[in-house]
Amino acid sequence: MSLLHTPPNRPAGKSIQLMSTCLCDAFYADVAQATVEVLEFLGCDIELPDGQTCCGQPAFNSGDWANSRKVVRHTAKVFAGDKPIVVPSGSCAAMIFHGAPLEFEKEADLPVIRALADRTWELLDFIVHGLGVTEWPGKFDAKITVHRSCHLRGTKSPEAMATLLDSIEGLQVEPIDETEQCCGFGGTFAVTFPNISNSMGTLKIEKLIACKPDIVAAADMGCMMHFGGMMEKQGLPQKRMHVAQILRDSLKNAGKI
Amino acid sequence: MSSDRETIFSAIRAALDPLPKRTAKPDWPTELVISNPSGTFDSLKAQFADRLAFASGRYYDSVPVLADFLKAEGSILGYCDPTLISLFEGIEGLEIDTDFDDSKINDYTFGITRATAGVAESGTIMLTDTDTSCRLGALAPWIHIAVLNEADIVPHFPAAIERFGDDPSIIFATGPSKTADVEGILIEGVHGPGIQIALVISK
Amino acid sequence: MKTKQQIDRTARDLDPEVHDSNFMGAKLKSERRYNTLFRDYDDPNKLREIAGNVKQHTLEHLDTYLEQAEESFKRNGAQVHYAIDDAAVNAQVLRIMNETGSQTMVKSKSMLTEEVHMLDYLEKNGKTVVETDLGEFILQIDGDHPSHIVTPIVHKNRRGIAKSFEREGLGDYNDDPETITRRARKHLRQKYIDAEVGLTGGNFVSAESGRIVLVTNEGNARFCMAANKIHIAVIGIEKLVPTDRDLGLFINLIGRSGTGQQVTVYNQFISGPKKDSQPHGPEQMHVIFVDNRRTEVLASDCREILRCIRCGACLNVCPIYRQSGGHAYRSVYPGPVGAVLSPLLAGNRFPELADLPKASSLCGACNEVCPVNIPIPDLLLRLRDKAKREGAKEAMKGTPNLGMWATLCSQPTMWKTALSMGHTMNYIPTEMIPHPSAKSWQGARKLPKFEGGEFRKWFKKRAK
Repeated sequence: MSLLHTPPNRPAGKSIQLMSTCLCDAFYADVAQATVEVLEFLGCDIELPDGQTCCGQPAFNSGDWANSRKVVRHTAKVFAGDKPIVVPSGSCAAMIFHGAPLEFEKEADLPVIRALADRTWELLDFIVHGLGVTEWPGKFDAKITVHRSCHLRGTKSPEAMATLLDSIEGLQVEPIDETEQCCGFGGTFAVTFPNISNSMGTLKIEKLIACKPDIVAAADMGCMMHFGGMMEKQGLPQKRMHVAQILRDSLKNAGKI
Repeated sequence: MSSDRETIFSAIRAALDPLPKRTAKPDWPTELVISNPSGTFDSLKAQFADRLAFASGRYYDSVPVLADFLKAEGSILGYCDPTLISLFEGIEGLEIDTDFDDSKINDYTFGITRATAGVAESGTIMLTDTDTSCRLGALAPWIHIAVLNEADIVPHFPAAIERFGDDPSIIFATGPSKTADVEGILIEGVHGPGIQIALVISK
Repeated sequence: MKTKQQIDRTARDLDPEVHDSNFMGAKLKSERRYNTLFRDYDDPNKLREIAGNVKQHTLEHLDTYLEQAEESFKRNGAQVHYAIDDAAVNAQVLRIMNETGSQTMVKSKSMLTEEVHMLDYLEKNGKTVVETDLGEFILQIDGDHPSHIVTPIVHKNRRGIAKSFEREGLGDYNDDPETITRRARKHLRQKYIDAEVGLTGGNFVSAESGRIVLVTNEGNARFCMAANKIHIAVIGIEKLVPTDRDLGLFINLIGRSGTGQQVTVYNQFISGPKKDSQPHGPEQMHVIFVDNRRTEVLASDCREILRCIRCGACLNVCPIYRQSGGHAYRSVYPGPVGAVLSPLLAGNRFPELADLPKASSLCGACNEVCPVNIPIPDLLLRLRDKAKREGAKEAMKGTPNLGMWATLCSQPTMWKTALSMGHTMNYIPTEMIPHPSAKSWQGARKLPKFEGGEFRKWFKKRAK
């Protein structure tokens, strides 16, 4: 992604469509569940379009734009309407609001895709800048580090994430070195460049666990599947959580849900 | 070659013609490029001195003190712009040519030439062909002393650029010549001066 | 780990010592860049954005500005030439040397001369050429090539350099960097005095005044315009900016972005031959504007890459470059900028370098540090699409075929069926999955547990 600029004037009401992402659909059910619980706590009315599959990112990043467009067209159809679309993944959100218009530049249906892009939010950005929430009434006793996923670069999501996490009672968010460095996932990059991807993951894990946190968090299950899978293979003890899970669990701890 | 010229120009036009719209030239304010000051200074001269030191250059405003430094460095033989030699009147122990002798290029250990301007925000010395009596005098010796009139210190680069005029060779020199090519280790004095001095005078 | 991609293989097989030099050099420069830019400006991104727009504007009016620059140089007494490609620029330089009876050239650093292999060409034609940038000089005596745009010998260490100096008769073995530098100073000093021609590149050209800007630290470009009588500047046509005033943007950005210096030691603004009153300096200045496929890039949908000012910031921050080093890119321009520019400049050899744009996790760090805000990841993606459409094999190696996946993702019923069937995956040892991507994944990572469709079930059943 280029230095991402989120679309201006996105719709922000509490009636939303949830794009739960293919990774949550296949592997991380609880992350999507936490997203729903968090949004419903905030009073959102959630529609989960049944025909949703994937945002098209794997093919887009691989350079297979013809196939990616096929998937994006499907997504546009499934997510018809004018409600805000909320995505608990920085890269899937960026795929819709930045990647899709890029690969449709020369396509006749660009306006349809543009309209889809212009109402898409990454979850934390939506909570803080869409709904105006700046304090999280949760409680969570833990020391954590956070991986700033690359697809949040240039967006307001990192700031939103910091705002929410910093306001949780008991939660200690430790800074890490070289936040700007990628974890080495990059979609199919992780399998086409396995050696470099692995070296990058090793470096990232080193930074993430340097302060011996209880939990390593991120707002993108793509990154987490990669470096989390590495951590698991290495037998590292730190628990991994999506930020949505921390938000949800902190509400439970505080007796709010 | 003239045919290459035509080919290149027509290729450029062919490339640009299909563009639906073209980027307008941004109108940017001068303040945009002015860097945050490194401290508070009561004069441009003071800021210039601070920044020159930061760039590992040396600042003098007294000729005898400068002469003592040269002698302490064992730097005795040098070249001086003929219009500046009067500054060194009465200084003992230095051997100064006012005619650059090309055959002594490796013998001169210092060169004294005139600076056209100084830039306070960066400690930069601006040299021009017009004011520099000879290019090698400012370049070849280990020590270069740029004599700078205090009134010619400007606050920032845009102000220095405004003074370009039609001079064919203008140099912004900020500190001594340096390299970090070998293992990233900083070494001062590669091809140009290893010691860059500004002698600031007010006249 | 097994890999089909050349850059990944180079990274895997890299000498650990070379890896560490590349890695640490890049990391340090990145940190310095950040510290300097954010110390000196409250909002450096504003500068990057405007500088990018100035360059983009110039490129999109290049015919006008190039014509203006030509007139300005001529007015200043310089001679202007044009060269369509490598052969043309090399022949032009040789012609100038022959016509002026010149035998020896000292040259300062120029990536463009690397691009057109000028050194080899001139030497084959009997000329003596001496690289004077310390790093480039070391590369010349070693018959090696730069691995970085700004710090060309970042892949070498002092011991190797000391051995090369010993071999070349520049003194007994001594690996102290200061001694190495002093020996080069002494050796090259005489070359400057003996040479008839000084050749430089040009970091920027002001069209308004006909001034080239040379940005260096060592002072070698100054020396290439002191004792010699002829100055030749070879400049890519993309180096133009409209006015002298605009140069204020770029000299403030290039040093901070590249090496983290507030400003590089020397910024030279050269607009013509020396003044009559000046005893030293070239009596002739030749400016050669070189295309060498830049107009093809201008016509492509990757024209933004022509904004590049060669600061090297994108290399330094790039996690892939840090692992692979510059030589892995098999071209003059390495790193993120090279991954875009090199395949484009390769013309019909594009397929050979079509894997370069794949060597990126698309993390965007390059875009974030670029002083002219080039959307490098977008350009990498466009080139990936081009490679796929053109069936460039180097690009496709190791990339799974996503046709089936796209079909699956466009058919919700099939998708949901696949999700529910996927559970069987949890009952087979995943290391046994014969698919190459699965193997590649599991070299270093566990696959997550399959939970297909569980969220949807929960969502439907949950009590609201």
